[in-house]
Amino acid sequence: MSTAAATVSTSRAGVGSRAWAFVKRHALTVYAVLVVAYLMVPIAVVILFSFNAPAGRFNYVWQGFTFDNWRNWDAVPGISSALWTSLEVAALATLVATVLGTLMAMAIVRHAFVGRSSTNILVFLPMATPEIVLGASLLTLFLNSTSVFQLGFVTIFIAHVMFIVSFVVVTVKARLIGFDRHLEEAAMDLGANEVTTFRKITLPLIAPAMLAAALLGFALSIDDFVITYFNAGSTQTFPIFVWGIARVSVPPQVNVVASAIFLVAIAIALGNVLWQYRHGDAQ
Amino acid sequence: MNPRMTRDELLRRGAAGVTLLSLPGLLAACGGGDDNGGGESASGGGGGGEPNDVLNFSNWELYIDTKKPTTFQQFKNKTGIKVNYFEDVNSNDGYFAKVQGRLRQGQGIGRDIFVATDNSRFPGLYVDQKWVEKLDKSMIPNISNLIPAQQHPPFDPNRDYALPWLSGMDGIAWNEDLTDPVTTVDKLFNDPKLKGKVTVWGEMGDTLGLVMLSNGDDPSNVTDESFDRAIKKVEKARDSGQIRRFTGNDYAQPLARGDLAACFAWSGDVAQLIADNPKLHWGIPETGGIIWTDNMFIPLGGSVPTASTYMNFVYDPKIAAKIAVETGYISSVKGVKPFALKLDPKSGNNPLVFPDSATLAKVHQNDPKMLSNQDYITKWQKVQGQ
Amino acid sequence: MGAFLHRHRSLTPYLLLGPGLLWLGIFFLIPLGFLGYESLQSGVFPSFQFTWEFSNFSNGIRDYHEQFVRSFVYAGLATVACLLLAYPLVYWIAFRAGRWRNLFLLAIVAPFFVTYLVRTLAWLNILADQGPVVGLLRDLHILAPDGRLLATTFAVVSGITYNFFPFMALPIYVSLEQIDPRLLEAAKDLYASPTKAFLRVTLPLSAPGIVAGTLLTFIPAAGDFINAALLGTPKQTMIGNVIQAKFLESLDYPMAASLSFLLMGAILVTLLVYARIVGTEKLTG
Repeated sequence: MSTAAATVSTSRAGVGSRAWAFVKRHALTVYAVLVVAYLMVPIAVVILFSFNAPAGRFNYVWQGFTFDNWRNWDAVPGISSALWTSLEVAALATLVATVLGTLMAMAIVRHAFVGRSSTNILVFLPMATPEIVLGASLLTLFLNSTSVFQLGFVTIFIAHVMFIVSFVVVTVKARLIGFDRHLEEAAMDLGANEVTTFRKITLPLIAPAMLAAALLGFALSIDDFVITYFNAGSTQTFPIFVWGIARVSVPPQVNVVASAIFLVAIAIALGNVLWQYRHGDAQ
Repeated sequence: MNPRMTRDELLRRGAAGVTLLSLPGLLAACGGGDDNGGGESASGGGGGGEPNDVLNFSNWELYIDTKKPTTFQQFKNKTGIKVNYFEDVNSNDGYFAKVQGRLRQGQGIGRDIFVATDNSRFPGLYVDQKWVEKLDKSMIPNISNLIPAQQHPPFDPNRDYALPWLSGMDGIAWNEDLTDPVTTVDKLFNDPKLKGKVTVWGEMGDTLGLVMLSNGDDPSNVTDESFDRAIKKVEKARDSGQIRRFTGNDYAQPLARGDLAACFAWSGDVAQLIADNPKLHWGIPETGGIIWTDNMFIPLGGSVPTASTYMNFVYDPKIAAKIAVETGYISSVKGVKPFALKLDPKSGNNPLVFPDSATLAKVHQNDPKMLSNQDYITKWQKVQGQ
Repeated sequence: MGAFLHRHRSLTPYLLLGPGLLWLGIFFLIPLGFLGYESLQSGVFPSFQFTWEFSNFSNGIRDYHEQFVRSFVYAGLATVACLLLAYPLVYWIAFRAGRWRNLFLLAIVAPFFVTYLVRTLAWLNILADQGPVVGLLRDLHILAPDGRLLATTFAVVSGITYNFFPFMALPIYVSLEQIDPRLLEAAKDLYASPTKAFLRVTLPLSAPGIVAGTLLTFIPAAGDFINAALLGTPKQTMIGNVIQAKFLESLDYPMAASLSFLLMGAILVTLLVYARIVGTEKLTG
């Protein structure tokens, strides 16, 4: 008798806790969806208003749907040169920063040398320095050496490499730490010298990390405002263009360009996801 | 599963998307380099000689006529010179920050003409530092059309370096849907119905100029006491939450959309806004307004002949009238009114665009000593929390 | 070349480091040196003289301590908000999302691809006084009839939170992702309730991620000025706004430079205190 009662009460407790577990499980999912919605709302607004046909100067009230802004995306003077400048700087700076950063990461991880911990700190410092300090101090350097550095594309490029390098080092370092040296040793035992080993074994294996670092660097460069603002002189990157024009009124073409950058990035990322899904997780 | 690979994956996915974009960028970068901003001006620097066939002109937004045939087209037809027009002056200090590096080393900025407002410290700075070229007055016979009031500005008493582009007036704009008319600074700062829906400029000359007038002080002759009185008044309105923000041009959108009920606004701006939203009004405060003038300067390295030719062109009353009518700002050229009346009688009769002596009597200019006084500047920035 | 490297093994690290270090040396350290020199200057633009003006630092603290404190408070609030918002989300992604995982990770990073300024301007649109969000909140009496969301502390902190969210979320995800599921199974086998398993196993193991995320969020947030400029009033200005104004509007370079160093110093002190509390390995590891 007591066993039966015990069984009944156990199963009721089981149902109760299962119901609670059900609620908890789904509450978290609902929460996750809500947070993502919160993250997406401004993006949706930006994209939506790129299709707006504003009557006057301002693009804040929905007036009508149009493709005109997308067709005439460079109707606003300065917007296309700002965009190309942003892309050029990002590409160049990312390239240089990835190379420099990878070399540094290799040195830090694989060699014990005098000053290693100081190097670690030096690499970490730019990430711990507020952008405004980075930008303003670099400006001070440029203003004191205008015979060598003139504010413009070159100074923007220099600034971007400077702040991207740290991110590259950290990213590649993480990959190198878990790297299996045996592969390299095996290659060398088979007669390859340092350079060949690096080219054929090391490089392909750290390539994903380098790529990840490069992509991160590219994203950081394209989006950078504060450091660029101080060091651009008359040259305009896209964020600087937006800041300037936001003082008056933001034309829908700004939304168009911002949306375009976003959509291309997402498209490639999604493509990547799909490709991985189909070919199975290679990792 | 190697956790670090996953992070790479994540970073790659997370930051993905721009590899393809970098290729054209790289190719372009090989041939590229600076665009409009860089290096020596395309035109030769210095005076004398023939004008070039291109003029590079930096100006504020919405500060030029747009109806065809535009004055730029007319200029090209008359002289063969094409104007590259850059609306990249967003603020006097912002523009200064952009160009000071090169100018400091005696380098050009890629422009033949740029514009700076006389109620800021910058025109004085540009002239004192010798970062601007002298005009070639022999190529500007129309300089005789300059109105007397503009002939001896404090920063350039002989008009050797600059000529006025357009002038504007400081006043109060209000939205009739949200408030009854706001015609005094005191009402703007004290009316409880306006609380949190008011903005003033971050520009010291403009805001403190109007405030000093409302205190009965003279903005063209500033003393420490009159300055402090004005500062205190603004601080009070800021602390009470009456003033929402300190703006540049960016009061226009919030005013148009109803975030603001009333604010300090520039005459020409509101003339353009009213076209979109007839519920907006603008007026010079009862205690008086401020008038300021944007001046055309030739930066170091700019081509003096080309710039001087252009300045001569825009000092033709017919051309000046078109520009004033379409921008809603005030011209400094004699004899514009008859031409303006022909182009647009409503604008020609608008005392805000073509002020009569009664209107001009109500507006004052800022004291240049106040504008370049570092103590005052620091105090004013503190009022804005910075 | 291989032979050269082989013979000069000890040189290799320096050769590898050389270019990068040179770049950082010239374009990071030397500028800081210039900034330091400038911070001890005095005078009015454009004629500054070097006068060992240490008063720039004491004046900086005296005049702008409000903005310093405010910056750290706002950054702290935003960091906590990011942590509270992000943790459940990335927990779900790491343990419950299954095949949706990558999609949601993408969603976290997606805002990053819309230019910082543009997405902050979008918030200006969304939270406008005459907009739907404020209207709804007024109808629900959460806001007073003439209440507003923009130009408030709430707006500024929310802006900072939104903009730095991925910097908190991703490091936590990485550390959650690394947790061996067998540990959780073991906890379950040992009759630990889900809550207990979380508190005793998951949370401690995700600590490195939390530390990293906190730092990556707090440090840039403390120096931010854009959110305060666009979404706040003069009562919400942060030290970033002051520094920016000193450099670009007042042209008071010595003060701007000294404030920059004070900010860096304050951040480093915070870092050290934090490192003390959580243990240094978690910081640099």
